[in-house]
Order: sequence, then structure tokens, then C-alpha cells
Amino acid sequence: MLPFLSLLILIPLIFSGITLFTKSREQARVVAFVGALATLALSLYMYFTFDSSSASMQFEEMRSWIPSLGISYHLGVDGIAMPLILLNTIVIPLMLIFTWDDVRSAPNRFYALILAMQAAVIGVFVSLDFFLFYIFWELTLIPLFFMVNIWGGPNKAHASMKFFIYTHVASLVMLLGIFGIYFASWFQSGFPSMDIPYLLSQFPLIEDGMLRDGIFLALLFGFLVKMPSVPFHSWLPDAYVEAPVAGSVLFILLKIAGYGMFRVILPILPDTSNPSLMISILGLLGAVSILYGALVALSQQDLKRMIAYSSISHMGFVSLGCAGFVAYSISGAMFQQFSHGLIMAIMFMSVGVIQATTGTRIINELGGLASKMPKLAVIMMLTFMASLGLPGLTGFVAEVNVLAFSYANVPTYVIVALLAIVITAAYHLWAMQRAMFGVYNEKLGDVSDVSMYQLVPMAIIALLILYFGLNPNPVFEMMLTSSNQIASLMAVLGV
Amino acid sequence: MPIGDFAFMIPVLPALAFVLTFFFGKKLPQGGAIIPITAIAVSFIISLIITINLLQNPEEVITQSYQWFSAFNVGILIDPLAAVMLTMVTLVSLLIHIYSVGYMSHDPAKPRYFAETALFTASMLSLVLSDNILQLFISWELVGLCSYLLIGFWYQKPSAASAAKKAFLTTRIGDVMFLAGIVLLTTDLFRMVNGTIPEQLYLLRFDVIFSYIPQLSAMNTTVLGFEVTHLTLITLLFFGGAVGKSGQFPLHVWLPDAMEGPTTVSALIHAATMVTAGVYLVARTFPMFIAAPGSLIIVAYLGAFTAIFAATMGIVMNDIKRVLAYSTISQLGYMMLGLGMGAVIGAEAVGISIFHLVSHAFFKALLFLCAGSVIHAVGTHDMRELGGVAKVMPITAATMVAASLALAGFGIPKTIIGTSGFFSKDPIIESAYLFGAESGSWLPYIFAIVAALLTSFYIFRLIFMTFTGEPRTDYGGHESPATMTVPLAILSIFALFFGAISSETFKHFVSETFVNNFVHMDIHALAELGHYELAAGHGHEPLLIVWMPIIVATLGLLLAYVIYYQKAVDVSRFVTRDNPLYRLLYNRYYQNEILTEFFAVKIVYESISMATYYLDRGFDWIVSVLSYIVFEAGDSFRKVQTGNVRHYATAVVLGMSLLVVLVKLVMEVI
Repeated sequence: MLPFLSLLILIPLIFSGITLFTKSREQARVVAFVGALATLALSLYMYFTFDSSSASMQFEEMRSWIPSLGISYHLGVDGIAMPLILLNTIVIPLMLIFTWDDVRSAPNRFYALILAMQAAVIGVFVSLDFFLFYIFWELTLIPLFFMVNIWGGPNKAHASMKFFIYTHVASLVMLLGIFGIYFASWFQSGFPSMDIPYLLSQFPLIEDGMLRDGIFLALLFGFLVKMPSVPFHSWLPDAYVEAPVAGSVLFILLKIAGYGMFRVILPILPDTSNPSLMISILGLLGAVSILYGALVALSQQDLKRMIAYSSISHMGFVSLGCAGFVAYSISGAMFQQFSHGLIMAIMFMSVGVIQATTGTRIINELGGLASKMPKLAVIMMLTFMASLGLPGLTGFVAEVNVLAFSYANVPTYVIVALLAIVITAAYHLWAMQRAMFGVYNEKLGDVSDVSMYQLVPMAIIALLILYFGLNPNPVFEMMLTSSNQIASLMAVLGV
Repeated sequence: MPIGDFAFMIPVLPALAFVLTFFFGKKLPQGGAIIPITAIAVSFIISLIITINLLQNPEEVITQSYQWFSAFNVGILIDPLAAVMLTMVTLVSLLIHIYSVGYMSHDPAKPRYFAETALFTASMLSLVLSDNILQLFISWELVGLCSYLLIGFWYQKPSAASAAKKAFLTTRIGDVMFLAGIVLLTTDLFRMVNGTIPEQLYLLRFDVIFSYIPQLSAMNTTVLGFEVTHLTLITLLFFGGAVGKSGQFPLHVWLPDAMEGPTTVSALIHAATMVTAGVYLVARTFPMFIAAPGSLIIVAYLGAFTAIFAATMGIVMNDIKRVLAYSTISQLGYMMLGLGMGAVIGAEAVGISIFHLVSHAFFKALLFLCAGSVIHAVGTHDMRELGGVAKVMPITAATMVAASLALAGFGIPKTIIGTSGFFSKDPIIESAYLFGAESGSWLPYIFAIVAALLTSFYIFRLIFMTFTGEPRTDYGGHESPATMTVPLAILSIFALFFGAISSETFKHFVSETFVNNFVHMDIHALAELGHYELAAGHGHEPLLIVWMPIIVATLGLLLAYVIYYQKAVDVSRFVTRDNPLYRLLYNRYYQNEILTEFFAVKIVYESISMATYYLDRGFDWIVSVLSYIVFEAGDSFRKVQTGNVRHYATAVVLGMSLLVVLVKLVMEVI
């Protein structure tokens, strides 16, 4: 059998290399698009051959790499990773179509970075070795940094540096956690191993409770900052807002932190010295992120900043669902990641269109756009509705699972999240009312509706939001299979 | 093939009509109106056949369920309750769609209009035939979405965009309570099956929920110092949703503003596809309410209060549509009161309340369509500018009078002579009397009877101000085309005669909705769980009580006649800004100031949200200070370095080398 997972990383990486050496914008975007399509084809093939009723690793590859340190080249996917890979490989080619006509400096580097980013993110999703995992984890920083630093908005230098240093510090703390579990297991068993499933299975054998908690918290910190969760979120608004549209979408596709929660944090959570405390922390941070993100979003004047805060609010559902710790709530959290990727991609694309046509993102400077841009208005309406959790669209599927099945474990935090739902509806509709409805603001001059090559990718994602909202099973089933496995750990412990 | 196999088409056809009209309506005449009209007509025929079949065999209900995602299912349940609702919704919606062809003929955005009304109808139909609470909630939200889109149909008007937002957000407060109820219910049920859901058990299907009622009522929890059963909590949260959707106090504020949409949309919202959803929800989960101590009493009191509260505002409004909007709120209060009367009459309450819902749908749709006809012809909603319209629009005037007679509830007790409103409202008032007699609390009855007086007064005030006398301004006007007057005529037949023909059959049919092959509920046993004492029998009320509603209705009519037709009293003496009572009523008890301007804007936005905004800047500041300290410290190192440090590269290299060095060290130790 072909090494599908290696190919899934290599194809975008190779195309990224080729793109770097192209001479013109024409060549760069065509090569990049072909690369993204090839990756999509491969991931679709894998998705359709994937067995969603099995919780074990599939397409597994295992080669010895640095045996003296226990480092191996170990790849595999399960129901946690597969939907995220699918999300990434679907959105990237659509995003390339969306940015097809953007004129910018150094197009070869621009497109090369997008593909490099794709390779790095997929790398994180498929790595089953901590060494590999960490390399890919850190690699994701570089394209994003340049994305903001080179093609970003007026405040790009500050934003890119802040993002880089903030999340890098968090990664180092996570690295300490990785070392902790690595060495503790080495002392325990007498031989080194960086293998993720193996190390996770060794975690309960670590005798020192303080050490277990330390490792857990260090890893958790790394993921929470990247996710991000309040109060470690302040890198996000600047980075998301300053990034170009493609950069913002890449940020949105950076689902590695949530992935880490399911891959690493939840399996070891039952073996910390005080699991119910850890669950409370997750629930608290989740609920606070949801409410806080929504409240700050309500106060924003800049449409893109509002969306950035709404993203923080949505990611709170991931933590909250984890805190529920039953299969359905965990799958809800996983589905939230998938749904959030689709919804936010269109959100940022819409803002990109608005900024490109009107020259502003300040909500009060817009007004009545729907009468000039009816197609954009329809797409935006659907996306805003999905984002505020309207049933029939993906956001609701995630939220209802998280809320209904986390209540048993963390009732107070679920009530907080429920309160936030009204605020969420409020800022979405208020922004819509001020930006799109009412009398057209003549100061904006003569604007034309969204062009076809931008409309088509947005419409395709919108249809996916509708499709997976009505029929989430194609990805939900595999998530549920994996979550059942995770939740069974907790059931054994009887917490 | 049995007709039940076509049941799924009832909501699916209008949903398909939405898609087709949305994409192809522009290319068709009249904005593709023929597509939703055909679809809804077919849905109506299917519903009607199902209802007729059910009437012959009420215990053989249609039920189909399929696994959906997670622990949830989709399914169809058509029992007597759902069947009559489906038939009413499809019929009223069909007539409104036909009427819209004439009413919207000048609007350029017709395809969007007909697409959205089709989706509105589809959502409501899906809500009615849901066999589980989650699907009901999902449709419920879609109904909310459609009302948002249609109230804001003329989105270029700032007032319309604002009213749409207000409607969505206000009902959303109720929706969140409803969702909280579902969350609590799911949690409890999930606990009862010990965290593993058996195959083929659909957790949130109504039969499963109802079968767990005894366990739910045995679970207690303390909320705000009150010891309540989980069942009470869940039902009250559901009722919270109904309060939002069905415009009960204090979440009724969106409904009068909702007239910013086209008048036909108001007719849909007020009669068929939206506000009735809340009443339907309570009726649908009635076995839970009657087993929940206190719940039905709260429903009854809030309903009765809303009935009188809204009616007081109805008497001072000058906008023809606003009068009707307050009238809807008031009548919905009656429906809730009727359901609350389950506390004394058991399942019969569902029958009388739903009967009032259906008869109200006919005459309220008619009232709005007549008002629309007037507005269409003369171009104003302000009654002070109208007068004498009957001369130019005789058909509209006649049908409107018919509807008003039905709303005021004219009829002769103990005979079969009477309007639909008479047959539907009087049983509610009489059961409120029974409730007073049994429990000693007369407030619901007093509210109901005073509201009946006010109802008759405000609706005939509207009739006399609009249709009689001399025109107060020069508005021209003409009778509306046949696509508009024919639906009016059909609806007025229903408003006048539906009650006389079907009253007893209907109420009996719907009251039996919880005894069939899907669920078999013993309402008396449930009432014992809820500590309600059902009255042994009724129908023996004193003659004065039986005649009371008709007496007050006549009184209201006479009062309106004297004041607004004969002009025997000079109203301008009372109707001034110096009169505090008038000011209070005209300003709608200052709810807008309190709820919107104070609570939503001042508290939530300007205080809480802005405080969080500054808190967020604080977080950012802390990070900046931290990084400043680090950079300052780094400066000393910088002197050793080349100067222009590439942070990103260094950081990665540092991270990696740290790993290697540490590993080496540990290797040596081992």
C-alpha cells in the first residue's frame, strides 16, 4: 500500500518548493492550485476509504528514525484527525480560487507559504511521535509569521511579532510537558520512546502525582494559548486582523490546538491527581471564553475584529465540550472545530470582499450594502446565521451536543454559555443591520457585487455548512467513534 | 399506498418551493408565486385527507422515526393535535399566498418574498409534525429566522431592519430558555439510561419523554430558594420559549413592531406560521405540564394577565395594524389561559385552547388581510386619516365586520348560532370561572372577562373609525382585485360558521390526542402527580356566567358605537398628553424605554460589553508590559549579538537545541 500520509505531507511541500521557483504570478498560482487539488484528491480518497466504525489508527506508517532516543517516524489518522484534514484540504484550494486575482508582491513566496502551511498543519494531525509532532507544530509558525509580516495590514510588524513570540513561549512550555512525560516514562521503563500512544499509555504509571499534574498543565497551557482560550488570547485579534484574507483563513485552519486537546489532553486527564478539578478548569475557561468573546465582539467597531473575537467565543465550545467528558459532548467539541473552520473561512472572505470594494471595515462607515451587493448579502446572512448557531447549519450541531451533554458534568458553565447565546445573536444581527441593511451609504461610492471567482468558493463552503448542518454524520460518526474511546477511559475510572 | 406515506411531503413540498422560487422565481410571472401556491395546496390536500382519516380512527396516528445524528432522531407524528394544526396552517397560508399575488404585485422583490414565505410555511409545518422535541426546536428556530427575514423584507427601511433584529433577539431570549429546558431534559434522560442509549431508543421523542414523567417529577432541585421538581423546571423553561414566540408578557414587545414587514407577512405571523408555535408547544407537551406542580397555574395567570394587558394598549392605538397586533397578543393570552385551565378540566384544555387557536387563525388572518386591502387601496395605516372606507370598499368592509364579530365573540349561548370566536372563546372564559369556583382564585376569570369587554371595544372602535363616517383625508381608493377579495370571502365564511359546525367534534377530537397507538397517557394520574384537582364535571355554570361574555361584548360594541359613531362623547377630552393614564397606555407602559433603551442598550451594551472591552485592553497591556520587560532584559544580550536578531529563526533553533542538549545530558546520567 502507498504511504498515503507521507504523500499527504509531501505533495503540498513539494509543490510549495516548486512554487517558490516560479517566475510569475500566473505560474505561481497555477502550480499552487494544482498542488492543492492533488492534496484534496488524496485526502478525499483517504476519507472515502476510511473506516469510521473503527477507533484504531488507520493508514499507519511506522519507521525507525533515531532509535537511541526512541524517535520514530510514526504516522496515522483516526476519527479525530480525519475530519480536520478534510477541512484543511477542502478549504485551501477554495481559498486559492478566492485570492486568484489578488495583486500582491512576491506571489511565488505567497503561494509557497500557503502550501507549506498546509503541509505543516497536516503534519501535526498525522504525527504519532512527539518529536515529529513538535517539529510540525513549530513549522506552522513560520508561514503564518511571514503571512502577517509581509502581506499584512498597517500594524503588521507588531502583530506578527506578538503572535510569534506569544505562541512560541507557549510552545516551549508545551515542550517541557513533552520532556516531562518522555523522561518520566524513560526512567519508568528503562528505554526511551517519543511515541505518542505509547507515552499516553505510560502516563498513569508515573508515580509522582505532582509530576503528572505538572506535565498535564504544561501541555494544556501550550494548547490553550494556541486555541486560544481567554485569558491567553490577546495575540489573536491583532494577528487575525492584520493578516491578509488568505492569512486569516490559514489561522482559522490552524486547528492544531483543539486537536491536541483530543489527542493528548483528554486521554491523560483521568489520570491526573484531581480530574474533577482539571475538568472544572476546562469548563471554566470554555464558558468564560464563550461569554467574554461574545461581549467583546459586541463592543467592536471593526468588522474583522468582531469576527476575531467571535472566533474566540466559538472556540470556548471546544473546551466546554471537553469538560463534558462524555462521548457526545466530546464529539460536539470536535465538530465545533470542523464547523468553525468552515464558517470563519467565509466570514473572513466576506470581510475581505467588503474591504476590497468599499475600502473600510468599520461597521458604522458601511450601511445598506445589501442593496448593492445582494449576492454577498445572501452568503453573509447564511454564514452569520451559522455562526450564531442557527439549527440546520453546522454551528448548531456542535453547540447542541456540547450543551446538552456537558450539563451533567459542569452545569454552571453550560448556563453561562446559554446566556452568551443571546449576546452572540445580538452582535451578529446588529452588525448585519448596520453594515448591510438600511439606506445605502452614498459616501462609499459606486460598489459592485462580489465577483464570480470569489462567489463560487464562498458558495461551495456555504453549501458544505448547510450539508453538514443537516447531515453531520459523514464526519460526526468517526468523531463519535474516537470520542467513545476517549470517554471510556473516564468511565473506567468512574469519575 | 396509505396516505401516511405522503406525510413527509407536507413540509418538504413548501421547502422545495422555497429553493425553486429563490433561484428561478425571477424568470416566472408574478415572481414564481405559482410554485409555493401549488406546493402548499398539495400539502393542504394531504393534511386534509390525513385529518379526515384520523377523525374516523383517532387512535391510529401516523408515526415514523429515523436516527439522525448523535443521540437525536427525525420523525413525523401526526395525531389529532398535529392534524388540525397542519390543516389550518396549510389552508391559511394558502389563502395568504393567493392574496399576496395581488398585494405584492408592485414589489420588485417578489421572488424573494414568495421564497421566504414558502420557507416560513415549511418550517412551521415541520414544527407541527415533529415527533421529538429537538426537531421541534430546530423548526422553531427556522420559523424565527423566516420571521426575521420577512419582517426585514424591506431592509432598506431602517425601521424594518431594526424591527427584524428586535423580533429575532426578543424571541431568542425565549429560545434560549427553551434550549435550556431541552438541555436539562436531555441530561436527566441520559442519566436515567445510565449514559448508554439503547439501540432504537430515541431519547427526545415525545413518547419516550412522556414515559419518564414519573421519574422526572420525582427529581427535585432548588432554584432561587424554591424547591421544585425537575419537571416543573423543564416545563417552565419550555414555557419561557412559548412566552417569547407567542408574544406573552414580558416578551411580547417584538410583535407590534413586527408590522414593519408587508401586511401579508403580519397575517402569516399572527395567524398561521409563528405565534401559534408557542401555544402549540405547550399543548404538545401538555402531559408534562399537567404532571408538573405549579406550571399550569403560572401558564394560566400569565395568559390571563397578557390578555388584559395587551387589550388595554389596543384601545389607544391609532395604527390599524398595531390595534390588530395587540389584539393578537391578547388572544394568545386567552389560548395560554385555556391551556392553564388544564388544572381543572384536564386534557379538555388542549381541545378548547387549540380550537381557539384555529378559529383565531381564521379571523385574525382575515382582519390582517382586510387591513392590508385597505392599506393597499388608500396607502395609510393611520385610522385618524381614514373614515368612510366602507363606501369605496364594500367587500373588504363586510368581511372585516364579520371578522370583528368573530373576534368579539358574538353568539347566542346554548344554541348553535354564533361566530367561531364565540364558540372558541367562551369555553375558555367559562373554564376560568370553573377554576375560580374550584380554587377560589378569581383573578384569571376577572382578567378574561374584562379583556373580553376591551376586545369588543377596541375592534369596533377600529371598525367605526375606519369604515364609517366621512373620509378625513382625501385618499382616493378602490376595491381590491379578485385575488385579494376571494381569500377574504373564504376566510370570512370560516370566521362566521366554522365554530357552529365543528365546535364539539373538534374539541373532543383534539382532547383525545394523548390516547392512541403512539402514547397512552392517563391524564388523571398525571394530574395527581402535579397536585391538580380536576373538577368532576362542568357545564352547570349559572345562567349569568354563561351570558356574561356576550353581555360584555355587546357593552363594548355599544360603547364604541356611542363614542366613535355617534360621537356622543368628545374623546379629545381624554386623549391628550396631559392625561397620565392615556400617556401610560399610548407609550405602551414604557416597555420600550425599559427593555430596549435601558436594559439592552444601557446595561448590556454600554455597561457590560464596554467594560469587557476595557478589560480586554487590560489583558493586552499586561502582555505588552511583560514583553517590554523581556525585551529590555534581552537588550543586554543583544550587545553580544550581531544586532539585527531574527527572532523567529533564533527561537526555533533555540527550542531545538534545547531539546538536543537536554537529551544528551540525560543520556549521560543514565
